[in-house]
Amino acid sequence: MHRLLYEKTGNARWISQLDMIRLFQRAFLRAGIAIKHSEGYHPHAYVSIALPLPVGQESRCELLDFAAVDGTPLSGIPARLNPVLPEGLRALDCFESSRKIRDLALLRAQITLEYDHGAPAPEQVAALFAQPALLVEKKTKNGPAQVDIRPLIRELTVQPCADGLLLQALLCAQNPGLNPELLTAALRAHLPACAPDFARVMRLEVLDAAGEPFR
Amino acid sequence: MKLTSKLERILPRVQKPARYTGGEYGQILKDKSRIEVRVAFCFPDTYEIGMSNLGLRILYGTMNQPDWCWCERSFTPWGDMDEQMTAAGLPLYALESGDPLAEFDLLAFSLGYEMSYTSMLHMLQLAGIPLRSEQRHGLNQMVFAGGTCTCNPEPLAPFVDFFVIGEGEELNTEVLTLYRQAKAEGWDKTRFLEAACRIPGVYVPAFYDVRYGADGTIVSVTPSHGAPQRVQKRIVQDFDQAYFPAHTIIPSTEVIYDRTTLELFRGCIRGCRFCQAGFTYRPIRARRPETLVQQAITALECSGYQEMTLSSLSTSDYKPLAELMTRLLDYCDPRKINLSLPSLRADNFPEELAERLKAVRMSSLTFAPEAGTQRLRDVINKNLTEDEILTTCQTAFSGGWNAVKLYFMLGLPTETDEDVLGIAELAKKVLHTWRTYGSNKKRGVRITVSTSYFVPKPDTPFQWQAQISPEEFTRRQRLLREAIDSKAITYNWHEPDVSYLEAVLARGDRRVAPVLEYVAQHGGKLDSWSEYFDNQRWMDALAACGVDPDYYAARDWGEDEILPWDVIDVGIRKSFLLRERRRAHEGVTSPDCRHQCGGCGASCLLREGTCDA
Repeated sequence: MHRLLYEKTGNARWISQLDMIRLFQRAFLRAGIAIKHSEGYHPHAYVSIALPLPVGQESRCELLDFAAVDGTPLSGIPARLNPVLPEGLRALDCFESSRKIRDLALLRAQITLEYDHGAPAPEQVAALFAQPALLVEKKTKNGPAQVDIRPLIRELTVQPCADGLLLQALLCAQNPGLNPELLTAALRAHLPACAPDFARVMRLEVLDAAGEPFR
Repeated sequence: MKLTSKLERILPRVQKPARYTGGEYGQILKDKSRIEVRVAFCFPDTYEIGMSNLGLRILYGTMNQPDWCWCERSFTPWGDMDEQMTAAGLPLYALESGDPLAEFDLLAFSLGYEMSYTSMLHMLQLAGIPLRSEQRHGLNQMVFAGGTCTCNPEPLAPFVDFFVIGEGEELNTEVLTLYRQAKAEGWDKTRFLEAACRIPGVYVPAFYDVRYGADGTIVSVTPSHGAPQRVQKRIVQDFDQAYFPAHTIIPSTEVIYDRTTLELFRGCIRGCRFCQAGFTYRPIRARRPETLVQQAITALECSGYQEMTLSSLSTSDYKPLAELMTRLLDYCDPRKINLSLPSLRADNFPEELAERLKAVRMSSLTFAPEAGTQRLRDVINKNLTEDEILTTCQTAFSGGWNAVKLYFMLGLPTETDEDVLGIAELAKKVLHTWRTYGSNKKRGVRITVSTSYFVPKPDTPFQWQAQISPEEFTRRQRLLREAIDSKAITYNWHEPDVSYLEAVLARGDRRVAPVLEYVAQHGGKLDSWSEYFDNQRWMDALAACGVDPDYYAARDWGEDEILPWDVIDVGIRKSFLLRERRRAHEGVTSPDCRHQCGGCGASCLLREGTCDA
């Protein structure tokens, strides 16, 4: 399997997961990179994106699996893709990988909390996430459910920044994973006085269970 | 574009936010500090509709050719975005730069259908730009408009500073060049418009004084400021070599027509008497197959699209279609590119073409017999016989097709109940054909019958005709619904309200303008969407403005009446339209242009060469 590491920042963060698949199928063709097609009556270029990124979040560590054919040199692929990608998408690396996506265990993310009328004390926010349990309402297939997100938070620091507060978090990535937006939801639910006016999320790195970057 | 914090906070709350950010591959960015003329191409419908429009891509490309001009895009936001923008005090902006439309030199509106008029006004409101031309004093915020609907621009006369009539590829550049000079030399608005109206194809409505008689009809139209008596439509003289958007914007989010579109030819040889496009896009000008194949390959390689469609008013009338298809399929087949062919006529759909197309992808077959009986098809000059329809269906069914869509109109001139019931008969015969020849009976068949409400349009032989009343349309629709009794046949019917208003706007004059203004000021927008169309709002507007819709829709117009759209010359002689009108009422067909030139007059628009019928 061939794997592409790319970033999705700026305006590209509004592109949905489904649109990303279509976008990359076309981008590979534009770049003249032949990739393997699915079998069947309507064959499509096969691309698969690990760990769908919620619309509106940015990332520096997106992974896309595909299969280049004709022995295309992988190292040259980012340079060929980048000129044909839309604003905000940038291929960083391309390599062979045998690691299964299910081994992707952890996600390092930063959440910027913006306060229009002054930020609360970082300690106050940090204290909330230090509690032994933290229930948050989450939309599920069977309607809203209360989920304890605390076990899914491995590390979390809070510090002041220009816009307000900066949360640096190490979170479970999948099975189950924690959408960093739920940290903001927890603030809204349990510390309404510390709820931000706006929150932006940036994925920084995906890691395996041992805490090494997952590639 | 650079996202402002206001916009950034709105986007998480709206559906499909990628529609509002620009940044797609292929968008054109320029350094605005080095730009002399800034144009916002405003499409009065959603991003998904606008980005599916080939005209937008052509004009975006040509207006960006001069390095001193930057043309950007703007679309009508969907309701959720609209509310959020209004609440946040965020004015409408262009997608490339994110700059508010109010900062632009020119706003270019593309008007493809009457029901988009209110979206145009709504966009101006969202941009904070005054609606009426007389309220905009400077050289900036100049509003101009073009597109199919501008063959009768009159309902928009008070809002638009100037119209560009006909094909815009060359005309727009001439206008922009003049504007560049005007801006550099500090002309005032009137001086610019006086110079602009001397460019062939430019119509400045403020320079025409329209007088009405006691019965409401137009008595005189008097030009001033040196404007011509009639403005003649512009065309691209050398269509084969005309600009084609091979390098174009590839939307990052799904749009309606998300594929490469090749434009085979402009104009139509058929002369169906109800069809505005069939007359107003004349004369016939075709691209050579070599040109098209080259354009196809470049466009597909530049876009990465896996789908391509051929576009024209009647694709099977493209003379070298078989040669073109063979060459395109040779390229597309091995690359798994899906080729689709809309606008086929039932009478000349070649069997071998069906075979090769089937190999690429099975899809549904669409025919537009328009009328249910031969008599009425003769009246409208749809030279298509029942035999031809059924023979083509036979070919298609035995070739494996199992879905047919049939399009008709109700309320065509001289239509009787017999003609209405003829639609059901024809659909049943198509079903019978499938039962006899269908190659895969287990899959079943889907026959879809759709009827629209006939709208008499300017520049057609039916331009003088009264539209039937909405009540009568509903009665005929019910009659047909009761006559269709097979489960294999689906009948798509709809409310008459929109088509009735379309008839008012299509033949409207300047007195209709306040109605549009009222609708827009009372929240009207995206009126071609059932989510937003509100008939009551239109009825209120008509009442408030004292406009009788039946004067425009339900009246038999006099043949010697001055028509609101007489000021625009699309190249078709009135004497020709009158002759065709008489032949219609006699039930006599006219041959297509290829068999015998009907002398419509459009070839006069060609500086050299002849109409390529």
